[in-house]
Amino acid sequence: MALVEIRNITKSFRKGEETIIPLDNVSLDIHEGEFVSLMGPSGTGKSTLLNLVSGIDRPTSGQLVVGGVEITGLSRSKLADWRAANLGYIFQTHNLIPVLTAYENVELPTLLLKISAAERRQRVRVALEAVGLTDRAHHYPRQLSGGQEQRVGIARAIVAHPKIVVADEPTGSLDSETSEQIQILLERLNRELGITLLMVTHDSELSRMARRQLHLDRGKIKELASENQPVSVSAGGA
Amino acid sequence: MFRYVLKTLLRHRTRTLLTICGAAVAMFVFCGVEAIQEGLRRLVTDSESNRGLVVYQENRFCPSTSHLPVDYARQIAKIPGVREVMPVQVWTNNCRASLDVVVFNGVNPQQVAQFRTFNIVDGTARGFETESNGALVGFTLAQRRGIKVGETFSIGPMSVKVSGIFRSEVAAEENVIFTPLDYLQLAEGTDRAGTVTLHEVIVQSGFDLNQVAESIDQNLKSGPVATKTRTRGAFMANAVTDLVDFIRFTAWLGYACLGLVLSIVATTTVMSVQDRIKEYAVLQTLGVRPLTAMRLVVTESSLLCIIGGLLGAGIAISLLAWLRLAMTTEGVSLGIAPSFRLAGLAAVLSVAVGVLAGIGPAIQAVQTPIVAALRRD
Repeated sequence: MALVEIRNITKSFRKGEETIIPLDNVSLDIHEGEFVSLMGPSGTGKSTLLNLVSGIDRPTSGQLVVGGVEITGLSRSKLADWRAANLGYIFQTHNLIPVLTAYENVELPTLLLKISAAERRQRVRVALEAVGLTDRAHHYPRQLSGGQEQRVGIARAIVAHPKIVVADEPTGSLDSETSEQIQILLERLNRELGITLLMVTHDSELSRMARRQLHLDRGKIKELASENQPVSVSAGGA
Repeated sequence: MFRYVLKTLLRHRTRTLLTICGAAVAMFVFCGVEAIQEGLRRLVTDSESNRGLVVYQENRFCPSTSHLPVDYARQIAKIPGVREVMPVQVWTNNCRASLDVVVFNGVNPQQVAQFRTFNIVDGTARGFETESNGALVGFTLAQRRGIKVGETFSIGPMSVKVSGIFRSEVAAEENVIFTPLDYLQLAEGTDRAGTVTLHEVIVQSGFDLNQVAESIDQNLKSGPVATKTRTRGAFMANAVTDLVDFIRFTAWLGYACLGLVLSIVATTTVMSVQDRIKEYAVLQTLGVRPLTAMRLVVTESSLLCIIGGLLGAGIAISLLAWLRLAMTTEGVSLGIAPSFRLAGLAAVLSVAVGVLAGIGPAIQAVQTPIVAALRRD
């Protein structure tokens, strides 16, 4: 059974007189431990799909099951609980809380879990170690470089041991050298820790690091490459 | 999560400080106004507690214009339901409303204990009972005027020797000086031998106060001076009637101050939420429930209100305790004193206003769709 089962998802919204359909009857399976990249031109619904899988947006129709839970029918509170326990989100612009230190930013998701203080400390320490930022734990975001901020963001995304981590253009706001460091880090997290990753990117080099590469255009998904063929993809009933 | 709220407030120190100052000033004014309201309530309710009546000259309000024969006391004592009568001569240095009026009550030293409950906190009652110009001075007046036991206190034609300082359960009493009745009647310039300002009456239990009051006025109708008898509370309320309208108006001023706190804190919280709408979206993406996010906003506004409110209330209460003000008119004092009730009220209102101020911004923080909020710069 796939970790993420996207079944006939459609997302549409009105913009003035026009109805926009960024996702049109999309189906897709993502298995545990996969590193999936999603590319495509701007405005084709990549981020929309990511937000639907994250449970921060709702589809117009279709079914979305993550880890055996049909998330489209959950209430806002239940969905928040589900996100706290199952989802890690890496933002393009890091989105760290500016008043909290790197340590406190990483600790934040663990405050929502029912775990002991000792375990919380242990998890934060391990997450910061994994991204190589133990020595910057007590620095505030304004005291960190863009790359370091993104690493804190990655540590925050993995600290709660989520079932899936989604990344929305994680290198989009970084220079090429820092981008490369982040690429290596993401690839290592997937390979060494077995974290399931779904990543939206415009960066073809970063996309190639993923074990599965998907392309989304005009609401339809196309499989570009995969290490583990065959894969379950259908787009618009194709 | 509380640490997050605290750090958020500290991040915008100037804004936080200005909001706290605004809330403190408004709560300071509210406490001052509420202390006056409380003084009026206490004046009426405390005065009602001893089943007492006051017999005053009809259509007179100022002590200097009410002159009743002393021997009315004997006639009043015979009326069914009357347990005790005490003639009282009142002298005041100012009949008009003022914050520093000195009021003398000339009474029978042997009788006064039955009518008033007070505690001597400095000196003794001996001089008051034995010396012609011995006096017991109310604690608030003594503090305000710096009067000490053993000293001679003089004002106008009065010159009394302070034998003791007392505290009373009735706050207004603490603004009074008790002297022997004879002294006040015969004091130079008063020339009131044979008359008193009023008679105080204690009614036996089981008798209706208003009926006994009516009987007194009926009985004395044929005397040289017509009387008007009221319950002690009604007499006090009537004496300060000129102030009552003003005091009731100030209640609106108090509510306006609460509205001001609400508006100051709500404005700051709205600004804070609008600045950080993306931050709340990030928190919700991480798994913070909408209600928890709302609670963070409400905690922020409540903290501002509680700190500002308690600061303002603390300053107001300290100042009231130090100044020991009393608003006196027609010889009746209305104590403007701090109380535990006032402190409790200020604390409860600070929390309530803080919560109220945060509800709107809190709804705004979680009503904005997460995806739309994340797209904001």
